[in-house]
Amino acid sequence: MAEPLLEFRDVRAGYGDSVVLDGVSFSVAEGAGMALLGRNGVGKSTLIQTIMGFTQFLSGTIVWRGREIQTVKPHLRARLGIGWVPQERDIFRSLTVEENLVVVARSGAWDVARVYDLFPRLKERRENKGNQLSGGEQQMLAIGRTLMTNPTMLLLDEPLEGLAPIIVEELGESIRKMVREAGMTLMLVEQHAEVALEMTDSAIILERGRIVHEAPSQELVNDQATLDRYIGLNISA
Amino acid sequence: MSTLIAVLFDGLSYGMLLFLLSVGLSVTLGLMNFTNLAHGAFAMLGGYVTYALVELAGWPFLATLPFAFIVTAIIAAGFEVVLFRRIYKSGELNQVLLTIGVVFASYAVAAFFFGTVHHSVELPGYLKGFVEIGALKLPSYRIFLVVVALLITTVLVGVLEYTRFGAMVRAAVDNGKVASGLGLNISVIFALTFALGSGLAGLGGALAINILFIDPNFGFHVLVPVLIVVSIGGLGSIWGSFVAAAALGIFDVVGKFLFPEVGAFLIYLFMVVILFFRPNGLFARR
Repeated sequence: MAEPLLEFRDVRAGYGDSVVLDGVSFSVAEGAGMALLGRNGVGKSTLIQTIMGFTQFLSGTIVWRGREIQTVKPHLRARLGIGWVPQERDIFRSLTVEENLVVVARSGAWDVARVYDLFPRLKERRENKGNQLSGGEQQMLAIGRTLMTNPTMLLLDEPLEGLAPIIVEELGESIRKMVREAGMTLMLVEQHAEVALEMTDSAIILERGRIVHEAPSQELVNDQATLDRYIGLNISA
Repeated sequence: MSTLIAVLFDGLSYGMLLFLLSVGLSVTLGLMNFTNLAHGAFAMLGGYVTYALVELAGWPFLATLPFAFIVTAIIAAGFEVVLFRRIYKSGELNQVLLTIGVVFASYAVAAFFFGTVHHSVELPGYLKGFVEIGALKLPSYRIFLVVVALLITTVLVGVLEYTRFGAMVRAAVDNGKVASGLGLNISVIFALTFALGSGLAGLGGALAINILFIDPNFGFHVLVPVLIVVSIGGLGSIWGSFVAAAALGIFDVVGKFLFPEVGAFLIYLFMVVILFFRPNGLFARR
């Protein structure tokens, strides 16, 4: 088997004195998609933040392309090819849509034209300031902005959270298109388990900071008992 | 009539000097939320650089101005890296205490090297005379000040609003965590921004020598008018600082001309009135 792109080995991490991730191990192969499932507050976002280096790292190892990166600063992890899309969308409010894209650009296959191609709405809004966008447009911009860094792997932290159903559909389609065409490695945190499983190859379920279940997405989508047990009511997409 | 215009122009050029001295503070205070009372000390540093090069090394005045900017910017960047970046998140009181301490230290250092007396520099001939426009006689040096200020404003607005570096600064200010998570090195961006703002203070200090003179108290002296400009203009707004500095300069000079008895107090009255109606300044960013 080829060397994984990203690997966690027995990682413990948290904020201040509280341990949120308590011995997490998994690996993602290049080009694969992994869903990260679980109820609210089980550590899904903390896991994403830990990949980026924004949490208190306690022990274990994070390996990116065979290199240990747990002590590498966040901006350098981003430059290694880890493409984080923040959960709160957190776009740069005083920058225009186009500036939001250009400001983080690194050379590669993704440029402004290709992002506009994926999200035509952003092109219409290119001169608008970040704070004049709807929730869906902000999410598109947040994803497009991360694509401008030309990442190898995309970390999507609840991209469909709080969006109107019609926007969820549009955005979901764009994400599928992006993953299909660009062969992007994906880690997807999502409350809508069905959507997440459909877009990914494998899934891990977190509970209380530990991985309690790991399975191919195809298998898990039919395993209603496990989904009920660990995710409960959130299955309704 | 021509006297009034000459006085107005005098005020405008004084205002432009205030602008050069304060615009850097507007950037560091407004964009980086760092309360930097040492700004005046960096202005003084630039003044002494020009003084030393002109009077002690015999350089032509104009040639020293880029050095006043660069030397101040480099030393300020050193202060940012070693001292100031450690207190960005630790509250305004700590920032005020540390930076005012730097002003006191700067007094001692300046007095040690240059004595406590006033210094000025010998200007080149073409900046010493007057330019006559009809009945108007305007001092060349003041025209020069106005031109330099307009140039700096254009360049600065251009850099912050239309370059990628400017966008990086605004992005880092908007959300430093996200900016770094997307690969921007915000420590470097902030250090460069701080160096740029302080370098402009150094340039302002160099240009101020022949209007305000320079002595070790310079860092304290300019602090009050500079803080007035920044608070009236609104934090982080270059145009705000420009308008506020011009208005303050004109108000001050014209006030002293028309009402010599109360002239020195008029700028404070001006500030109180403006802040009463616009507590965040004329052009507040937020």
